[in-house]
Amino acid sequence: MENIQIYKEIFMESFEIKENILADLKYQGVERWDSVGHMVLIAALEEKFDIMIDMDDIIDFSSFEKGKTILAKYKVII
Amino acid sequence: MMLKNKTALITGSNRGIGFSLLKRFASEGCNIYAHSRKPNIEFEKKTKEISAKNNIEIQHIHFDLRQSSEIRNGIMAIIKTKAPIDILVNSAGIIHGGLFQMTTVQTIKDVFSVNFFGMLEVTQLVSKYMIRKKKGSIINIASVAGIDLSAGNCAYGTSKAAVIAFSKTLSSELSAHGIRVNVIAPSLTDTEMAHTIEAKKEKTILSDNKEPFKRMARPEEIANSVCFLASEKSSFINGEVIRVDGGNKF
Repeated sequence: MENIQIYKEIFMESFEIKENILADLKYQGVERWDSVGHMVLIAALEEKFDIMIDMDDIIDFSSFEKGKTILAKYKVII
Repeated sequence: MMLKNKTALITGSNRGIGFSLLKRFASEGCNIYAHSRKPNIEFEKKTKEISAKNNIEIQHIHFDLRQSSEIRNGIMAIIKTKAPIDILVNSAGIIHGGLFQMTTVQTIKDVFSVNFFGMLEVTQLVSKYMIRKKKGSIINIASVAGIDLSAGNCAYGTSKAAVIAFSKTLSSELSAHGIRVNVIAPSLTDTEMAHTIEAKKEKTILSDNKEPFKRMARPEEIANSVCFLASEKSSFINGEVIRVDGGNKF
């Protein structure tokens, strides 16, 4: 499976949302993307892509799009 | 066995309460990441014997709690193995006693760097890993000094008070992820640390041989309480601070 599909599925499973709202999705943009949900998302991304995201990047990870930029720092190209 | 097939990271496991925890956890079937600041041949020899006796694995991990990069590298080395960390016991710490007006601010910062900030960094990395598994038990070793806060505790006592406060707030945050956080607050315990000059006052209070509890705690008595909190037997205990002090107040 390509990274973009894995990335999308992680968001959809973590927040129980559909693919059509991902493009513009931001932190706290849906009910489940609160601080608790954020840690669930980060844990899933770290597990799936076998990376450890720095605290500054966890805090900066503010949207679906921004996340792609952040993951690129860890050599995960979405 | 209370901890069969679990894996624990114990900081400061090479001596004192930490070593007692290592022995107890091993006897309960737990595999252990045994942290110490530096490699030590004598300690490695002892853990080989403990590992063989209890048929569990003990792996050594070294980092200085004052060095963020060492902590990160150390924890990352564990995470890369993909082995779970079911239990984290933050046992490493340093002692200091002295009146505030005779203690430099740098000394207070040094004590906090190990007892509090180093513990924070380990916990932040390990708890993030535990969130993936949606379960875990974190036990922080504080001290009655962090509760009673008598004179002479501007560094050690306040650092342990910070550990207690942090543990309570963390228990509220991590409960959503199935992770419990609790504290054990021992009174003076019969270890090397107890025989330092800093512990002189407490030793004097506890030297009355007429009463059965007017004594130092035994390290295994502390280990019993920690083992309980690490196990499923305490599955609904979260955010608690348990004094293990024989009822003594300082």
